[in-house]
Amino acid sequence: MTSQNNIKNLTCPFCSMHCDDISVTTTNDQYKVDQKNTVCAKKIESYNLNTKSIVMPMVGKKVVKLSEALKKISNLIKGHNETLILNHGVELAGLRSILSFASQRNCIVDHVNSKFLYQNIGVVQRTGYMATSLTETKNRADAIIIFGNEVLTKTPRLIDKVLTPKNSLFPTSKKEIILIGNFSAKIVKNIKGKGKCNITNIKLDLNLVGDFLKLLATDDLKLLKGLKKSELIKIKNILNKSKYIVATWTASDFIKTLNPKKIIAAICKYIVDLNVSSRAACMPISGILADETSSQALTWMTGFPSSIKHMDGTFKHDRNAFNSQKLIDEKNVDVVIHVSTINSGKLKINSDITNIVLGHPNTTFTSTPDIFIPVGIPGIDYEGIMFRTDKVVSVALKKIRDIKLPSTQNILDNLA
Amino acid sequence: MITQLKSGNVYDPHNKISNVKKDIFIQDGKIIDKKNVRSKVDKIINCSDKIIMPGAIDLHTHIGGGKVNIARLMLEEFHNEKEPGYDSSAIIAPSTLKTGLKYIEMGYTTCFEPALLPINARQAHAEMSDIPFIDKGGYALLGNDDYFLDLLRKKSSQSTINDYVAFILSATQSLGIKVVNPGGINAFKFNQRALNVDEKSKYYGITPREIVEKLTRAIYDLGVPHPLHVHCSNLGIPGNFLSTIETIKAANGLPIHLTHIQFQSYGNNGDKGFSSAAVEISNYLNKIENLTCDVGQIMFGQTVTMSGDSMSQYRNHNHAHPNKWMCMDIECDAGCGVVPFKYKDKSFVNALQWAIGLEIFLLAEDPWKVFLTTDHPNGAPFTSYPHLIKLLMDKTFRNDILNQLPKEILNHTILHTLKREYTLNEISIMTRSAPAKILGLKEKGNLSEGSDADITVYDKNKKDIEEMFAHPSLVIKDGKIVVENGKIKEYVWGKTHTVKPDYDKSIEKDLGKFFEKYHTMKLDNYILSDDEMNSLVGSPVYVNDCKYKRKQ
Ligand code: SF4
Ligand SMILES: [Zn+2]
Repeated sequence: MTSQNNIKNLTCPFCSMHCDDISVTTTNDQYKVDQKNTVCAKKIESYNLNTKSIVMPMVGKKVVKLSEALKKISNLIKGHNETLILNHGVELAGLRSILSFASQRNCIVDHVNSKFLYQNIGVVQRTGYMATSLTETKNRADAIIIFGNEVLTKTPRLIDKVLTPKNSLFPTSKKEIILIGNFSAKIVKNIKGKGKCNITNIKLDLNLVGDFLKLLATDDLKLLKGLKKSELIKIKNILNKSKYIVATWTASDFIKTLNPKKIIAAICKYIVDLNVSSRAACMPISGILADETSSQALTWMTGFPSSIKHMDGTFKHDRNAFNSQKLIDEKNVDVVIHVSTINSGKLKINSDITNIVLGHPNTTFTSTPDIFIPVGIPGIDYEGIMFRTDKVVSVALKKIRDIKLPSTQNILDNLA
Repeated sequence: MITQLKSGNVYDPHNKISNVKKDIFIQDGKIIDKKNVRSKVDKIINCSDKIIMPGAIDLHTHIGGGKVNIARLMLEEFHNEKEPGYDSSAIIAPSTLKTGLKYIEMGYTTCFEPALLPINARQAHAEMSDIPFIDKGGYALLGNDDYFLDLLRKKSSQSTINDYVAFILSATQSLGIKVVNPGGINAFKFNQRALNVDEKSKYYGITPREIVEKLTRAIYDLGVPHPLHVHCSNLGIPGNFLSTIETIKAANGLPIHLTHIQFQSYGNNGDKGFSSAAVEISNYLNKIENLTCDVGQIMFGQTVTMSGDSMSQYRNHNHAHPNKWMCMDIECDAGCGVVPFKYKDKSFVNALQWAIGLEIFLLAEDPWKVFLTTDHPNGAPFTSYPHLIKLLMDKTFRNDILNQLPKEILNHTILHTLKREYTLNEISIMTRSAPAKILGLKEKGNLSEGSDADITVYDKNKKDIEEMFAHPSLVIKDGKIVVENGKIKEYVWGKTHTVKPDYDKSIEKDLGKFFEKYHTMKLDNYILSDDEMNSLVGSPVYVNDCKYKRKQ
């Protein structure tokens, strides 16, 4: 029997915007996004079950019962010294279970994007910082400076929801959008097409962001490679007139530069300084693997945002020692439990150590893990809570299909 | 199972019991009367050398939500327990686990987060759900949100405002409403740097007085037990006692609770332009019936200040110690600021702040109107409560410390002339019965039959009162022994206290449209249901009664 359902206001778990205005039609366990023609629809639909989906636990290449896989995991962990739980994206309940499991077995816990997280929080941990959120930006910002193009490719709907919204509580005649770095003509056109705004694109090497901001803050008109004098004057004029300036970036965009931390620090300092006489704030865009959910929950439960080791009831935090990449590369852990409920990329498996994956059914790997347990996707297969990029807002995720997969929480609580 | 606490010296001010030898019986998590003990007593605990009080209640402590988590993140260096030199007494921005452990070890069984941003309610409750042992709740922030200010600008009726307030209480699962720097946080977003009680905000043209008037009225009309919880305008500014008095007047005689009043009782006399106005404020407190306050005592040492008041936190950021800070504008809803701070006993200003807080305590004629808080962690971490109690109960101890502070402060405070020493009964009032009463928690803060068996048992033989309050010999939560002689016996998880006055659901239609147009999430997603609280957030909801049926 076919059962068809229309679900309005689905909250999307697949990037840190967590848009909650998606409507989908489900037919049995398949679903289709009603709002067509967006990149997001494709992405959301890619988590439908298909012939390649793995819906039964596997030990190596062999299909096994869940109970058998669980037993195998218990034995594996018992026989090893150091276990790392590597988070590739999971919701709050999953994280709570990760932590309670880790505390019983003295595991290390890290998020795969920790290095980007540390780049952004470095400012909060060392200097002053002015921040803002999506709704403030939508309504209040009359000038938005975007550093690097990843902001727009990672969170595609930032454009229509925040940068050029249809409605605003405090409308300005025209919003000024300043793009710093290389933006494709298509993206520029896309922004333009969505609403009333002026776009200025400075094709500046991101390494020069610090120098550029220094020029903005002084009367100096010295020039940088990629920056015309007329452009500098124009931007200065725009910013001088603006009453609420928002700067946004995504830390992973700076990874190719010589000193990402320095760039972020320069942006934040520039914004802080503007507040002496006007208003301005930062709104970094976090990664798409529930990075904020992870750092928020770990912070309140342990005091540290990532890279922690449970040690008999207390936590030790060390960004270098408990950096998952390093631990795996240098084989300083014997078992890695990958938790990956929303990742769409290939999961990197280092076959020199034991790999256990709790992942969604469409997970793909660079090589076969020792054990794979398919788990549901929060927001598709079960309800949950995730945090948005601006941290201050968290959203409720719904359940839209029933393919009888356990959640990460179910599995870990069972193992604990 | 029935437990008997046998012949302890009981302090139960709600029932006018002060230092009376008595037995307390517990069954199924509740207190029962001796006459209703029908089966055999399973466990008898000899309390002949013990003091028994209801579990303590902290009605103003920042324990969950965005700004608390920012502080944790910012001050990471204060919680690496495995670092050499780690100070285990330092609880600067503690984790949820540590918060629960430290509170329960001191015999606190119920705590309230006073600055719950509606848009951040899900997070605040999720954090608090992860605090073991205690019951909890929050006060939702209003008065700086654009929706509310627009209602005022449009001259909406009081009844519409009441609907909105009741909606917020319900949607955010809160027990009360708080206003922080009324209108000021919003004005800061428009680059206004100060807003006095009768000053119009530039954009909305609304004064803080109007905001306080409307909100106190709404709370009164709806029958919400806890009065409007107010963090006044001009926090920390010398001379601000005048705006504090104007804020009191803005309530027009309706109930109002002024929070961390120490920070709002500053004069500007003397060559340093900073003096105590505790006497002036206390006169009001003693005179006006419907006025209550908590103190927000400061203690010397490192802490972190966190507040929804982004306007004043931005102003204070130059004093950050260690030198880092953060302010945030939040979702057309509110704001926040986190600034670490070290109160120094050598500093004239900090020493006077310390004295002002104590003056307010000691000048209060009625302990039912003044609550013991440090505005954790703004004045000091909550772990300093036992020390604060000793300051109130022991004037020699107090004066010894006062004598070590900068001499100049004596020209600006009358603390050295105050001889009062609080009694155990008064301490029991201000930390138990009075907060329960002002919050409308009928089953807390007393040892009446049917009340929650949240009980703290202290060792009478302890010579040092600070030591006695820091380490109760027994802490019982919902009838279970959770702490015994300083050791955790069992982990239990509390519930979330709310209040849900009626409202006309049609306000949700208007709000739905507002969200659709101006927010970046749907109204549906903003509303926290009881189900979600239970299943996803992780804390069951307990709905407390309103005082009476809604008036308009
Ligand atoms: S922008 Fe992100 S959250 Fe929104 S629909 Fe696209 S992938 Fe989902
Ligand atoms: Zn406070």
